[in-house]
Amino acid sequence: MTIIALVLSILLATVSLAIGYVQAGAAGYLLGFLLLAVIWLMTHFRKWYWFSSLALLITVVAAGYGVWRGFPTVWMLLGALGGLLGWDLSDFARRLTYASPMDDIQGMERLHLQRVGIVAGLGFGLAILSVVIRVQRLAFEVAVGLVLLAALGLTRLVMGLRKY
Amino acid sequence: MSRSLLLSLLTYALLLAGIAAVQGVFLALALPLVTYLLVGYLQSPEKVKLEATRHLSAERVTPNSDVEVTLTVINRGSSLEEALIEDVLPAGLAVRSGFSRHLLRLAKGESYTFAYTVSGPRGGYVFEALAVRVSDRLAASPSNIHVEAKGRLFVLPPVTRIRQVAIRPRRTRVYAGSIPARAGGTGTEFFGVREYQPGDPPSAINWRASARYIDKLYANEFQQERVADVAIVLDGRLRTNEFARGHSLFEHSVQAAASLADALLNQGNRVGLLLYASYLSWTFPGYGKLQRERILHALANAKTGESQVFSDLEHIPARLFPAESQIVLVSPLSEDDFAPLIQLRAQGYDVMVVSPNPVKFELSYLPANETIQLAGRVIHMERTLLLQKMGRAGIHVLDWDVTEPFDLFVKRRLSRSPVWLHAVGR
Repeated sequence: MTIIALVLSILLATVSLAIGYVQAGAAGYLLGFLLLAVIWLMTHFRKWYWFSSLALLITVVAAGYGVWRGFPTVWMLLGALGGLLGWDLSDFARRLTYASPMDDIQGMERLHLQRVGIVAGLGFGLAILSVVIRVQRLAFEVAVGLVLLAALGLTRLVMGLRKY
Repeated sequence: MSRSLLLSLLTYALLLAGIAAVQGVFLALALPLVTYLLVGYLQSPEKVKLEATRHLSAERVTPNSDVEVTLTVINRGSSLEEALIEDVLPAGLAVRSGFSRHLLRLAKGESYTFAYTVSGPRGGYVFEALAVRVSDRLAASPSNIHVEAKGRLFVLPPVTRIRQVAIRPRRTRVYAGSIPARAGGTGTEFFGVREYQPGDPPSAINWRASARYIDKLYANEFQQERVADVAIVLDGRLRTNEFARGHSLFEHSVQAAASLADALLNQGNRVGLLLYASYLSWTFPGYGKLQRERILHALANAKTGESQVFSDLEHIPARLFPAESQIVLVSPLSEDDFAPLIQLRAQGYDVMVVSPNPVKFELSYLPANETIQLAGRVIHMERTLLLQKMGRAGIHVLDWDVTEPFDLFVKRRLSRSPVWLHAVGR
């Protein structure tokens, strides 16, 4: 069950990005995305689970580049979402390898997929809403608030990184 | 890098890119990541409180025997959506059946019991705790905890039952036993003749001696049998026990020491154990079943070792042993062990050496070519000379081929007094 969901997530990520790039006239990246899908699957079955983090980074950076260049937003969103789901399911599959045959693996799979499905739906819905609802003008106070929020978050991130 | 840290970095990178490019679409890209993190943090367990109890089917077993380990984990804190529970096995033990690791959900107040079977070589093993990794279903904020569940398992050396170990130290203790004490009294072995004293049984009167005297009677006196002090010295030096390709005589030496200690304690003697390896490990002498347990526990933990100080037997602390007591050395022996053993003999100790034969042991697994056979014969001759020298010095040496079961070997060589064996030419 998890493997099927993982394969579908990887395909969602790479195919969405490929379609978005091709629609915007950047067909040269098509082979790259197909290669990413193949390598991602191969590394998963070879138990090189670390690659899924790299693949998430690649899909998010590719999606970010796409929106910066003005490529179709929905496909970029789906690409990033697929990358997130693939990354999550790859790690879940890794955690499942620690289970014994006596454990309720199917039950855990079902519950995990339910939770991830809800998160993915919620996240995608919010993202689509944020794209559809356009604010005509952004008040200066709101902009300052957002910058302060970003600064606060960065400060906490740096404090967290110091532990390493 | 943790999962939440990676997602946070990506989120803030997108946020910064959005601020730098003044494009809100970057924030839209970050929303699924933020949602994932938020749901993970909100669903993470508030309070993790687990208790565990452990039960072992046996705490004292022989090597490679199966022991069932049963663990019960109770969740006293908030519900755990995902908990990976693993029993941390002590080094040396291996799982024979069942599983020591489980991935499960554990609701508040719920308990989970699992069991598995382990076995291992000789040694003392301590179970400390369970390693538990708890997280929400998305594993956004996992945490690792240790849940204490202590247990101890002793894999004791196998003890071969030996009926009789004939020793004859010069000095004995005051308690009755089976060792001739070189003093007259009650016993079974004839000691001498003395004047009859009122109270002696009539059957003790030696009529042949009494016939020579008109006014006196003489009675037989028998040798008292008492217990003695015995020190078993187990040679754990690396150079005498360990050979190429991981072969070792030490397990045979441990088995011999365990069997001898058991037999000598059963005879009522006061037995101590000295392990002579990278350091000295001394089990204070004692009697009975409790002492047997102490010695077996010490042997369970015995390991070979190397030390510059204890590379030869010169540093055996003779002051630990009561004067003129019995010392039983279990050692494959090397050339330079002759002088220290003679020194012990000169100090008045009665020394017996039980020596697993290293030559026959090595030849049993080396290829049988001419060179090796020749080398084996030469080393065998050297060893024979060494043992003969020791024998002439009054040290009782027992050359044990480890392919022969130890109890049969002892029955053949030690069931009778060495003086008797010498008298019949064996």
